[in-house]
Amino acid sequence: MTAERWITVALGFSIVASIGLVVTYLLGGQAQVEGMLLAVALGGLGAALVIWAASLLDAKPESEEVHPLASPQTAREAAWETLSPDEITRRGFLLRLMAGAVAALAAALAIPALSLGPQPGRALFRTDWQGGARLVGADGEPVRVADLGLEAVRTVFPEGHVGSPDAQTLLIRVRPGDLALPDGRADWAPEGCVAYSKVCTHAGCPVGLYRAEDHALLCPCHQSTFDVLRGAVPTFGPATRPLPQLPLSVDADGYLVATGDFAEPVGPSFWNMTHADEAED
Amino acid sequence: MKRIRLAALAFGILAVIGLPSLGRVDAQGEPELEPGSPERGEELFIVACATCHGRQGRGAASGPAITDAGAASADFQLRTGRMPLAQPPGEQPLRKPPAFEEQAIRDLVAYVASLGDGPPIPDVEIDASLSRGMELFVANCAPCHGATGAGGAVGGGALAPALDQSSPRIVAETMIIGPGQMPIFDLPGEDVSAVASYIEFLQTSDPPGGFSIGNIGPVPEGFVGWFVGMGLLALLAYLVGRDWRKAGG
Amino acid sequence: MLRWFDDRLGLASFARSGLRKVFPDHWTFLLGEIALFCFVVLLLTGIFLTLFYVPDGTPVTYEGPYLPLHGQQVSAAYRSVLELSFEVQAGLVMRQVHHWAALVFLAAITVHMLRIFFTGAFRRPRELNWLVGIGLLTLALAMGITGYSLPDDLLSGTGLRILYSAALSIPFVGPYLAFLLFGGEFPTETIVSRLFVFHVMLLPALLIGGILTHLAILWRQKHTQWPGPGRTEHNVVGKPFWPSQVLKSTGLMLLTAAVLALMGGLLQINPIWTYGPFDATTVSAPAQPDWYVGWLDGALRLFPPFEPTILGITIPSPFIPGVLIPAAAFTVMALWPFIEARLTHDRADHQLLERPRDAPLRSAIGVTGLTFFVILTLAAGNDVAAIIFNVPVETLTNALRVAIVVVPPLAGLLTWRICRELRRRDVERAAGKRGGSVRLRRNAEGGFEEIEQ
Repeated sequence: MTAERWITVALGFSIVASIGLVVTYLLGGQAQVEGMLLAVALGGLGAALVIWAASLLDAKPESEEVHPLASPQTAREAAWETLSPDEITRRGFLLRLMAGAVAALAAALAIPALSLGPQPGRALFRTDWQGGARLVGADGEPVRVADLGLEAVRTVFPEGHVGSPDAQTLLIRVRPGDLALPDGRADWAPEGCVAYSKVCTHAGCPVGLYRAEDHALLCPCHQSTFDVLRGAVPTFGPATRPLPQLPLSVDADGYLVATGDFAEPVGPSFWNMTHADEAED
Repeated sequence: MKRIRLAALAFGILAVIGLPSLGRVDAQGEPELEPGSPERGEELFIVACATCHGRQGRGAASGPAITDAGAASADFQLRTGRMPLAQPPGEQPLRKPPAFEEQAIRDLVAYVASLGDGPPIPDVEIDASLSRGMELFVANCAPCHGATGAGGAVGGGALAPALDQSSPRIVAETMIIGPGQMPIFDLPGEDVSAVASYIEFLQTSDPPGGFSIGNIGPVPEGFVGWFVGMGLLALLAYLVGRDWRKAGG
Repeated sequence: MLRWFDDRLGLASFARSGLRKVFPDHWTFLLGEIALFCFVVLLLTGIFLTLFYVPDGTPVTYEGPYLPLHGQQVSAAYRSVLELSFEVQAGLVMRQVHHWAALVFLAAITVHMLRIFFTGAFRRPRELNWLVGIGLLTLALAMGITGYSLPDDLLSGTGLRILYSAALSIPFVGPYLAFLLFGGEFPTETIVSRLFVFHVMLLPALLIGGILTHLAILWRQKHTQWPGPGRTEHNVVGKPFWPSQVLKSTGLMLLTAAVLALMGGLLQINPIWTYGPFDATTVSAPAQPDWYVGWLDGALRLFPPFEPTILGITIPSPFIPGVLIPAAAFTVMALWPFIEARLTHDRADHQLLERPRDAPLRSAIGVTGLTFFVILTLAAGNDVAAIIFNVPVETLTNALRVAIVVVPPLAGLLTWRICRELRRRDVERAAGKRGGSVRLRRNAEGGFEEIEQ
């Protein structure tokens, strides 16, 4: 088949497909049909052009000279003369003062960029947890120890702050005898109910996976793994700090309550995190 | 007279053969199923399960005690074919064709349920709220099983299996018993039904955008973008760019 | 008709010279054009999407036709993308074409950049255009990241969380910078509208300006060419701009658009209705960004736990893999033409390209860098690979940690040896034609010439 015939066929397909597209749209549209018709409409036209270029045009290669682009020295000197006439270059002091003024103005104009966001202050050092806050589930209902089965895991929040991103906490029930918490935390996990911040200490993703038999919390983003029985210390992956633990106790009605906020900042590290005392709001 | 006697004899023989099955044949000719019988279950258990799980499910060297496993656990393990194990204990058991027929499963389940007070088989209703189901699924199930239920690696060599074959009953059972590495998600009954409904929706809905390429997100999309997209375009560049006349094309 | 324009603009002589401008013919020279055509598709489909997208992070209730989301709290932005996908005619196909075009755009830029690198096209006088090109790559990456975060779904929102944490990890300025960019502590409702301004206004303006600069410099300096008969360092041999190159390129543009349209219609991409709206308290697995950010995610997965505290200042663990290494890599990439000129003492203008074998050191270093990048990108899918190959993800991660250190230098060394071997064979073949041995020297045109004994 000659090139002309191919081009005719390609353009024919293209026209039919374009009409088909209009019809499909008017009939209500369908993603797969639209995609295929669009492909034929575009492709037919494209193929026609390419075949035209390949077969019907003159095939002789042509040549063009390439000269070095650098201008001759005389032209450069003339250009420099035009760019910096004596009236400007002579006034050294004024030029320097002008440069200083422009820099100062630039700084002044840039400063409103600070309106884009507030100062961090103490925001990274605290969450919505405080002593006496009851643990509630995502539905807002407080959690009773008796209702929490062994090997159950739940996401909990301080009462009144359901959905709080930095207060999100994992509540897990294990056998009390299996726990090997760090010193001083023996009373943080009543009846085997242990709570850790859900915000990964590596890059802040919620640590959403729990392997019940291994008592291991896994973060899906970069696979940091934390040992629930030993205070959520990292056992694999790029996280270096354990998940902060929330101290718990049980109130008179059998509900779980926090006895304070987390002891260290939740989530990923930042440069001055060991200087909580210096941060001001 | 002789013909009548022959007919009566034939009828009698047929009746003797056919009678025992009369009570167990339904309209289509399939054997009718009865509720599980703990006695029949015990016989099956002694043969198929006691070697590992011990007499009366009290545990043995190669299998844990299952006295408090309950009907839910037994039903899950037997129906998904995880039990009896086909591989050495220690590796995560995965779904395979069940080793027992329906009646045998019911009998075994009844027997295991009688061993202690584990959870019973839950009631599940489909057509419960899809929206509540999706909310719960995304919050509780998607981290391990994937947003589309395609399954995922959860570390430590464990797999959260794909959910494409899980019936609503199986879904409800696993949430209650938390088999293996899976924790327990003891949500109220209507929430369990909602999750099961959503999983059924995932199993049966057609992807609106076309072919879903494995349904696990940007990784297969990236491969397709490179091999299909860039591959086709590089080929086109080659076809467009070469000098066809010199090459005799 | 053309006279009407010429009466007013006087373009005839420019048209005469411009339209006859010679461009060399080789299919690898079309790879940059493919990137450009992907950009055109992105622009056109993007305009359509912009008319329907609502850049607002305020929570609203979804009440549209997708039942599983009915009644759920989502952001207005997320809802607008769902409307576009399910209630606007041709909306879903436009959205999918746009997203596939973005993936292929960055693949085409990568392939084009590799072609420029391995053929030495960036050498003097084209160092400037290389710098513009690296700038375009950076802008394209930023466009991709801001773009896929606009729907405010669970997957892209998780990605934003990681970027926020990477910003947070910068010593001294981290927390201020992160709060400035996001408008407060993560998550904020304003981030989506800010990303929109970048994605639809600021970045496209810079990208278009950069592309025009890139093309203008190319036009002025003329395109490079492969060595061959009649080709020297002082000419360019090929076909004229009009009609030959224009027809071919326009045809290729339509064919590129056709491929993208086919993908957008037949292959589902980014089903945000299944991921669900962004919620800071949950995450779905597997969690990956689009492929062109994979190297960053892979670096974060592979880098071992290392968080020193120096003089009371914590260097957070994401800082080195997430900020320092990428900054260093891009700096080296950008400065490469100058680094190579220093190493080779090559100050000449070049019009002819080199085959990779003719520059063994450059090719070896390039392969080392490319291998490093590829392993990092594959590492971002380590959890997916764990499911597919049924290998524990920890084993895979540790294997990749070893690979990232061992494989790139080995690949570079292998490349160097292969280049030298291929060159040796070229010399032998040239000598063999004359019979006996000859002493050969490379001349300025890139060919070999005998040294008179």
